[in-house]
Amino acid sequence: MTESLFAQTVATATGLLMLTAVLQVWRRSTDASTRLLAVQGAALALLVGAIGLAEGHAELVAVAVVVFALKGVLLPWVLARTIARSGIHREDSSAVNPVSGLLAAAGLATLAYAVSRPLVALDAGPAAHAVPAGLTLVLVGFLVLLTRHRAVSQVIGFLVIDNGIATVAFLTAGGVPLVVELGVLLDVVLVVLILRILSARLELAHGELDLHDLRELHD
Amino acid sequence: MTLTDVGLLSQPVLAGLAFIAALAVNDSRRSAIAGTLNALLGLATAATGVGALLGEPGSLTFATGIPGIAHLGQLALAPDRLGGIFLVVVGVVGALSAWFGVGYAHGATATRAAWAAYPIFLWGMSIVPAAGDAVTFLLGWELMALGSTVLLHSEHATRPQVRSAVLWYAAMTHLSFVLLLAGFAVLIASANGTTWEALAASPPTGVSASLAFVLLAGGFATKAGLVPVHVWLPRAHPEAPSHVSAAMSAAMVKLGIYGLLLVTLRLLPDGPRWWAIGLLVLGGVSAVYGILEASVTSDLKRLLAFSTTENLGLMVTGLAVAMMLRSTGQRAVADVALVAVVLLVISHAAFKTVLFLGAGSILHATGERDLDRLGGLARRMPRTAFATSIGALAAAALPISSGFVAEWVLLQSLVHGDTRGPTADRVIAIALPITVAVVALTAGLALLTFVKVVGIAFLARGRSPEATNAHENPASMTVPMWVGAGLVLGLGLVPGWVAMVAAAAVGASGIEPAGLAGVALPSVNALLDPVSLVLMSLAVAVPIAVITVRAARKAPRRTVDLPWGCGGVRVDPTMQYTATSYAEPLVRIFDDALRPTRDLDVTHTVESDYLVREVAYRQRMVDQVERGLYEPVIRLLWRIGDQARRLQDGSVHRYLGFSFAALVVVLLVVTW
Repeated sequence: MTESLFAQTVATATGLLMLTAVLQVWRRSTDASTRLLAVQGAALALLVGAIGLAEGHAELVAVAVVVFALKGVLLPWVLARTIARSGIHREDSSAVNPVSGLLAAAGLATLAYAVSRPLVALDAGPAAHAVPAGLTLVLVGFLVLLTRHRAVSQVIGFLVIDNGIATVAFLTAGGVPLVVELGVLLDVVLVVLILRILSARLELAHGELDLHDLRELHD
Repeated sequence: MTLTDVGLLSQPVLAGLAFIAALAVNDSRRSAIAGTLNALLGLATAATGVGALLGEPGSLTFATGIPGIAHLGQLALAPDRLGGIFLVVVGVVGALSAWFGVGYAHGATATRAAWAAYPIFLWGMSIVPAAGDAVTFLLGWELMALGSTVLLHSEHATRPQVRSAVLWYAAMTHLSFVLLLAGFAVLIASANGTTWEALAASPPTGVSASLAFVLLAGGFATKAGLVPVHVWLPRAHPEAPSHVSAAMSAAMVKLGIYGLLLVTLRLLPDGPRWWAIGLLVLGGVSAVYGILEASVTSDLKRLLAFSTTENLGLMVTGLAVAMMLRSTGQRAVADVALVAVVLLVISHAAFKTVLFLGAGSILHATGERDLDRLGGLARRMPRTAFATSIGALAAAALPISSGFVAEWVLLQSLVHGDTRGPTADRVIAIALPITVAVVALTAGLALLTFVKVVGIAFLARGRSPEATNAHENPASMTVPMWVGAGLVLGLGLVPGWVAMVAAAAVGASGIEPAGLAGVALPSVNALLDPVSLVLMSLAVAVPIAVITVRAARKAPRRTVDLPWGCGGVRVDPTMQYTATSYAEPLVRIFDDALRPTRDLDVTHTVESDYLVREVAYRQRMVDQVERGLYEPVIRLLWRIGDQARRLQDGSVHRYLGFSFAALVVVLLVVTW
């Protein structure tokens, strides 16, 4: 892989990550959110694969394949099935309107770039320049968690945060150790499965998947 | 291996065995097996103390940390002579209480949790005086608090007061721990290491020394139950099972005194004058307030709890006087005061064990601890009555008991302190006479209080069916009381060697044995030989008694009816003094300090308003310190708690928002 191709691939992947994250804030349709998540997972896999090829680590390429299988295919598929079963295709109880959501996402992206300046300064390579994108993903994921009320949207926000953490990890450390990364991936799968069961139960109990119904649980 | 080594090593083994036995043995035999193992643990602790007192070196160290990864340092147990005294006290009291528990514990007090907590409590108490460094000390302190809290909690299902007592106790014991933690942190900051040697080698100076002293004294005073941090005592002692009350009151609170001795003798020996004045005020107020509350309460165990505050107050008074005298160079008299403190510790441990076990025995037989509903137990429970009376003798500081010897030595130091000579100054000239007055008032009130206990509970006639139908308890409960009573009399009659040991423990000189195992204080030119005194008194009293009896035999016997029987009923239980009516004059005298609430309901007969059918009188004592000092604080905490509830409304999004806001704020601060 040549230097310029590597740089362009990394730029494309990070651009896709940012774009899908910001679109998550904008779109209200849960089906669209799931598709965006699949694209984001694929972009992350592309990023990991590019780093693996550039640095010649075979196991990173393997991780890229696993990441694509899990984050690009399996998790979005599980979510899509949940949505199909529950029949809720729109997030209509968001706390902020799309415009303010986009403005907040822009503010958070600015904050992420400001915070990660010292990290970027450490290394002149294209990978380091993509670190703020990972941080943006974490913050935007948090924003999704905070503003959406449907259980499915919560899972999506959580996965965006996880993608952000993985991005930063791959870009700064050249990839976390394989065992740790696989462990984290397994955790994420388990969490999503548990959330899926929980949302199914929630729906059985309340007939809806709105987290506001959980308010009664406080003491 | 020395005796100390063997003792230190056998304690964790026995504690572990007792813990396992409590969990593994079934209900029918748990009390017997776990109680016996705990008694053995107590004896091992006492043996360790004897070893330490004999000056045999011994230590036990545990390495802490995760093997192969992190080494956090060593926990060291290495008791010195001062610790040895307290080890013996803890061990003997713990053994007697556990032994009593074999017969006493039943139902909720003999559950797995209760018996499993006992060895934790006991071992924690034995770690504290044996600890060689601050970390081990605090670890033992917390084990002790943990075990005692679980034990105190045992009867929570049947009595709601227990829950409130547990909350008070837990809050106050945490306060004590936090103060100690902060105090030791100040000491450690200026020293190189956490061992007592390292802390004593480079003590802090100036303001940090005073800060450390105030924090540590506050923490130890809370555990010792001194006014105004005594509030947990009159709640926890009555509500705990009686054998636990005995261990808490006779052994655990003493560790507060051990801590104060440790701080003032070893860690921060040369403090400014106001430290001693502060302790003197604390001790004096505790002594008077404690015995005043004790004298007017009619709940037997609450009374004993307040009497504990009084005795601990006297100990702190003695310590403060010793510090004061030392700072003016009167070391010989100061040594006498220090010996008095140790004697008070030993004496109080002995008699308070007997008294609480006696209260437990009464509670077990009658289900009552309200003196107003007891009476006539001397005939129904003679063995309990005899042992408890000997305990009461010591609590009232009367001759031939240990209490008398201890208070005698304390008063010797007070009256022989130089208030006018070249070494005296204005503070001592004022403080010593006032202290004498305080001790005298305390002794007088203590006499009244324990005359009330013995007179109302054991003499006269039963005031309730429970009291008139009481039966003596089995030997497993009465024998530990007798052993305790024997210790009280032994210390009272042959105090010589105990005083020598006490002097060695605090490094005091000028104590010598005298006469038949008596004690002499050459530095203040005083001598006490109880055995000779008893023989002399008998030589005078026996002839008088013989002559009186013989003279009385000659006169014919007359029967006199009581005038207020109106010729009808000769004696009725309702005609007797009750505990409340006996204390009525005191309540009147100290009305402003005690502020009791009284209800008087007079029911008239239907036929005429001039004829009274029934009079109901109720008097309730509320601790004034608690009302004035704690209730406002508690109300404030409630208000803050209610405000804080608004932050936590159960919305998941709000909680997420908190963490998100925190993250963004941190990032902003970092970027700045």
